[in-house]
Amino acid sequence: MHYIRTILILLVIYLALTGNLQPSNIVLGALVAAVATLLLRPQPSRLDWRRLPAATWALIRYIAILAVDVIESGITVARIVLDPKLPIRPGIVAIPSGCSSELGTALSAHALSVTPGELVIGIDDYGVLYTHCLDATHSAEYAAQAQAMRRDLLSKIFV
Amino acid sequence: MQTLLQLIAILAVILGTVFSVLGVLGFIRLPDVYTRLHATGKVSIFGVVLLLLATVMLTPLGFGKGLVLIALLVIGGPATSHAIGSAAHRIGIPMKRAIRDDLGALEQNQAGE
Repeated sequence: MHYIRTILILLVIYLALTGNLQPSNIVLGALVAAVATLLLRPQPSRLDWRRLPAATWALIRYIAILAVDVIESGITVARIVLDPKLPIRPGIVAIPSGCSSELGTALSAHALSVTPGELVIGIDDYGVLYTHCLDATHSAEYAAQAQAMRRDLLSKIFV
Repeated sequence: MQTLLQLIAILAVILGTVFSVLGVLGFIRLPDVYTRLHATGKVSIFGVVLLLLATVMLTPLGFGKGLVLIALLVIGGPATSHAIGSAAHRIGIPMKRAIRDDLGALEQNQAGE
């Protein structure tokens, strides 16, 4: 069952990439997806249909927040670069992710790397994210706050 | 409608080019590996995303392909930056003008025990 789900997702991405809906292309896409799925060996995961609307809504909000973060981080870093005095106070700050699962920690690390002036350098066994900040003086509290909000959304998406 | 789309596309081309140039400028101006990763990994990806948006609107590339490429860039970009930064820290490249280093302090504690 979860094999078929993976094949369907891969098929949709393949059709989006090639951008033509002729029957021959769909058959080819299904074949490619099937071979890729056999090589990947996806792990079975339970799909709870009642949680789906809430999860979808959380996912949309998460993507919107991520998009705003990408734009903001581009502008913030660009302003620092353009400033003649180069106002950076770099440093590595420890930010606890608060997630117990590996997937949650990895996704938090990704979201944190996208936000302005922060880049995850290392993760320890307890899920603490060691983050390189362009401005390490007051971004630690702000980052911890943003992290808490993202963790709530992520926990709604993935159990 | 067509002209509006073209105007947005031209704006995206200009902004995308500006951000790409800023990424390179940051790469030259910033002092060390970690700070340079901020410039290349974020500003440049933002520029490329804008250029891709313009490409989707101006050429017959198709929205699906463009959106999938943007998603892959946004997912892959931070991962690449993290891989380079983590590798740089592991082989011990020092930070310049650093005001705190929690990870370095942790490693020193572990070495001391």
